[in-house]
Amino acid sequence: MTMNHRRSLANRRNALKSTGPRSVAGKRASSQNSRKHGLNSPPDFESSLEYRALVDLITEEGFSAFACADIASGLLNYRRVMDAYYDTYTSPDPVDEFLRDVNVKASNPIFSELLSPSGSEPQDVREMAAFFAGMQRQERRKGGPVSRRSADTHKLIRYQRNGIARLSRAVRQG
Amino acid sequence: MLYNDHFGIYVDVAMPVEDKSKSLLPFLSSPKLLPDESEVEFQSGLQSLLSELDNPSPLAVALVSQLNECLWWIRRHTVDKELLLHEAMARLLSKAGSNWMGSGNSALSVALEHYLDGSAHKDEVDFIDQALTEANLTLPDLRVRAFKDASRHIKMVDDLIHRQHQTIRHLQRGIDSIDYKSRLIKRMDLELAALESKQSAKGALTLDDESS
Repeated sequence: MTMNHRRSLANRRNALKSTGPRSVAGKRASSQNSRKHGLNSPPDFESSLEYRALVDLITEEGFSAFACADIASGLLNYRRVMDAYYDTYTSPDPVDEFLRDVNVKASNPIFSELLSPSGSEPQDVREMAAFFAGMQRQERRKGGPVSRRSADTHKLIRYQRNGIARLSRAVRQG
Repeated sequence: MLYNDHFGIYVDVAMPVEDKSKSLLPFLSSPKLLPDESEVEFQSGLQSLLSELDNPSPLAVALVSQLNECLWWIRRHTVDKELLLHEAMARLLSKAGSNWMGSGNSALSVALEHYLDGSAHKDEVDFIDQALTEANLTLPDLRVRAFKDASRHIKMVDDLIHRQHQTIRHLQRGIDSIDYKSRLIKRMDLELAALESKQSAKGALTLDDESS
């Protein structure tokens, strides 16, 4: 076992004892941890300069005022979805190579060494090994970077479907 | 002039297709390219699509730009399907060769990628040959097993490609309706002009009758 390997396992074990952020700024930052793409939050296109410029230009094509508003917001909404699609595609969850490749069985002596100051039992070592094995299974199930980005992008299909349906409807009914 | 592989035609990349001051595109976020993708190729695809339009209105140009992006995504996802297979092949080899796991999955993935490209060094070829021997597999066997292993993710990529096709259909219907609308407006203008000229001719005849 290398020193790095030992240190990584110790760091991960200690991280489990964390009680989370304490400062206001830390809490504010961590409140956004689960934010993925922001497509569920309602957009406010009407107050943007782009929206007004689009409405003006579309009006010149002979669409009614209602249709222009629908088409402009449909276009901006569709672009918002496609930007999120690109961002999701280009920044998938990173692969934790250490966790994926670590030999959990061979790490048992390290676990017992790490747990020994707290007077641990063999049962504790087994539990810790089982915990790491579970995390490793999860990590391996996610696959490599291409699998991850495919799975992440797949979650945005419904947003793209709704976005394009809205835009297409606005254009055809205009 | 650039040759567009997709459409099999030569395209003038700087071809003016619209009045820039009336374009909607500056107000919409533009499609982003990956670092290894060619901007010129992307633009040439867009220009060849725009050249298909008879009289491109700003809205039609904006929709065609979205359509071009969809075609680009289909291309990306098609490459991803092959990459998924490579990933699964590397994973299977790594599982089978437990005695050289120390070198890591990443090294194996890179070597396999080069091996499949035909750009591998001698060391990498030996590395992959040894891995295949240890796993007791040939390359076609490995590919078949990898396909089975990665089928869930390949299905996801197929869904993504299907979604892009559906989006293209929606965009095409939108473009058709804009085209139809402009033709309809032109036709109504012509009919109106004809009616007006008829009316003025009638008026002139009535005036002639009255004077005689």
